[in-house]
Amino acid sequence: MSHAVSESDLLQKIQDGDPQAFDEFVNLYGDRIYGFGLRMCGEREDARDVVQETFIKAFESLKTLKEPKALKSWLYRVASNACLMKRRKGKFEPQRELSLEDLMPKDAGSAAFEVPDDADAPDDSVARNETRRAVREAIRSLPPHYRIVLLLRDIEQLSTREASEALELPETTIKMRLHRARLGVRRYLESGSLPLGETS
Amino acid sequence: MNHHHEHGSRSCKQIFEKLSEYMDGELPSDLCERIDDHMADCPPCQSFMESLRRTVTLVERVDAPAMPDEIRASVREAYERYRGGKSGD
Repeated sequence: MSHAVSESDLLQKIQDGDPQAFDEFVNLYGDRIYGFGLRMCGEREDARDVVQETFIKAFESLKTLKEPKALKSWLYRVASNACLMKRRKGKFEPQRELSLEDLMPKDAGSAAFEVPDDADAPDDSVARNETRRAVREAIRSLPPHYRIVLLLRDIEQLSTREASEALELPETTIKMRLHRARLGVRRYLESGSLPLGETS
Repeated sequence: MNHHHEHGSRSCKQIFEKLSEYMDGELPSDLCERIDDHMADCPPCQSFMESLRRTVTLVERVDAPAMPDEIRASVREAYERYRGGKSGD
């Protein structure tokens, strides 16, 4: 995502108290934060609450932010916290873990599983739609603490450092969870399920 | 002449743990070279990495839903309420 100039201009407008700044802020990031909220929370109503909370809280905080480059990490930090708070308010779910041992292919046959490549398929082809549906399901089936890292890194295209700042986790944890999340999606595409262990 | 080792060896496991960092260009060059060498000698690891690359590409291509207009409007309203609340403090 290359919004370097826009982010810098926008931050200046926010800090100058420009009356258009809030709308520009929502126009620039609205779709991304909504998509992020929807994929994390699963429900449209929850995604709406995440978007509202994120923009209002972030807009106020950004008035004192010094570094334009930090805008994206900061915004996703607020959005991530809003998503995680939503989940905490929901029903209790035990934290499920993905272990490398379980995700490693057991034999050469499993290692050779061919993930579909839909790059050349027409946009509305049955195979392409089926693959996309399976990928969405696979992402949804990941435990939240893995899913949030996959969303930030592979969909929102944050760097490891930005994701680490957004989630306030060490970079090593981001890398570990990202790898397991990707392996989990691959496994789901191969077998339609995830090898999930329960830790609490 | 390439001598293919048996897949599932200790080095396969060590490389399996590092595949995402390798694909993301986050490993030191000496470790990348070791992985390149291993891949040249291990077709199953090569196939697995290719399938993981495709997985990442599919995830990156997941459709981005646009924020519905009514939610955009509700965000605006929430902001107005927030500002109204602040000015009334």
